[in-house]
Amino acid sequence: MLTGEDEISEKVTCVQCGALIALKGRFCNHCGARQSIINTSERNWRLLKQAALFFAIDIAACCLAKFTDAFDTFFWYLLLDISMALSAIAFFAINWKENKTLLVWRNFSWQKLAAYGAIAMGGSIFVHYSVGWLNIVIYSRDEHYFGLLKGNFLAELLVVFFTAVMPALFEELGYRGYMLQTMLKVADQEQAVYISAFLFAIIHMSFISLFWLIPFALFLGFTRIRENTIWYGIFFHFCFNLTACLFEFW
Amino acid sequence: MENVPSDSIVRCEGCYKEAAIDDAYCTACGYPIKGTPLQQKIFVSRQIKAEFDVVKFKRRVSKAGSTLYYLAGIFILGACLSFFSKKDDPNVLAIVLPEVILAVLFLVLADYSKKKTLACFISGLCLFVITELLGIAAGTQISLLYMILVIVIIGFLVLGIKSAIEIERIKKENNIV
Repeated sequence: MLTGEDEISEKVTCVQCGALIALKGRFCNHCGARQSIINTSERNWRLLKQAALFFAIDIAACCLAKFTDAFDTFFWYLLLDISMALSAIAFFAINWKENKTLLVWRNFSWQKLAAYGAIAMGGSIFVHYSVGWLNIVIYSRDEHYFGLLKGNFLAELLVVFFTAVMPALFEELGYRGYMLQTMLKVADQEQAVYISAFLFAIIHMSFISLFWLIPFALFLGFTRIRENTIWYGIFFHFCFNLTACLFEFW
Repeated sequence: MENVPSDSIVRCEGCYKEAAIDDAYCTACGYPIKGTPLQQKIFVSRQIKAEFDVVKFKRRVSKAGSTLYYLAGIFILGACLSFFSKKDDPNVLAIVLPEVILAVLFLVLADYSKKKTLACFISGLCLFVITELLGIAAGTQISLLYMILVIVIIGFLVLGIKSAIEIERIKKENNIV
């Protein structure tokens, strides 16, 4: 049973007539005015267009790096990588007030971190062997991207930086930070995770790799929702990519 | 108006939820409980219009869902044609498999779009756009008819996304289940 004071605290003033109305009421019982004045469909459509712009920038950068011979140099690779990172930061910062909470590492636990690291490494080993097998079955060859760099310590460090550190940081910031947070405003939690995971998976532009990219992205999405921080995801992503790099070098 | 036994509570004619006897408007749907018959009629006609709008948007959503099924069919057909025209090629699997994967993906998205409409349409649209970009990068010949077809497919999917958002808004605003 509510006391008189509680009843007053459960009330708000109507946006139109200023009368005291129940907090849970969607319409004023005095003037009939709707209390939520935000046009949700217009706002959702605007957010979707914004997310589409972020995705289009990523697609453009990936297409230029992958399919244009003129951009097939280390300088352009670096420039496109930096532009994708800047795009992730810029879109994440659009709603900085709300998104900054994702950068706080709440309930930090070494056990959890170790568990995520172990799952990431186990997953990476599975992906390494299964992708190797698929490459032999489908393309009759096993692909090694960095085999030529073996023994060159500085080059190996650069590869680790560009394939383990940068993607872990900025893909998580972009897809589990900005994209997922935006989709959570447009759709329910499950759909938001599916959308951000699917977009993350297809941006890699390898349909055969979708068998592991989609579960990988879904795991990261649900981890971000459960932990309410992107840091566990960043660590997971880093361990996964680092294991892949180590396989290439040793 | 159908009164419940209690003296202080009435039932709204717009949404059938309980309202206090002093309420001039229903706090759940905005129905003018103490309004004139004309005000009440205008409110009901607005509700009916909203329901018609939902039907119109549902038709667009259904068209977008069908588009995903057609895309699955196109990729299955493409995979079959590629297989039979290049079955002696040692790389036939590398050519056919991506098309089979795309067909399966579009089929799953089309089927699942009945439950998770927005997620499936956004994913389907992005997948289609990326597929087309990869096709252009691979040197696919683009004719005017092909361009029109691509624009029509994108149009249907975009309308599906917009309609899914509108349906949610109308349902929320008018308490339509």
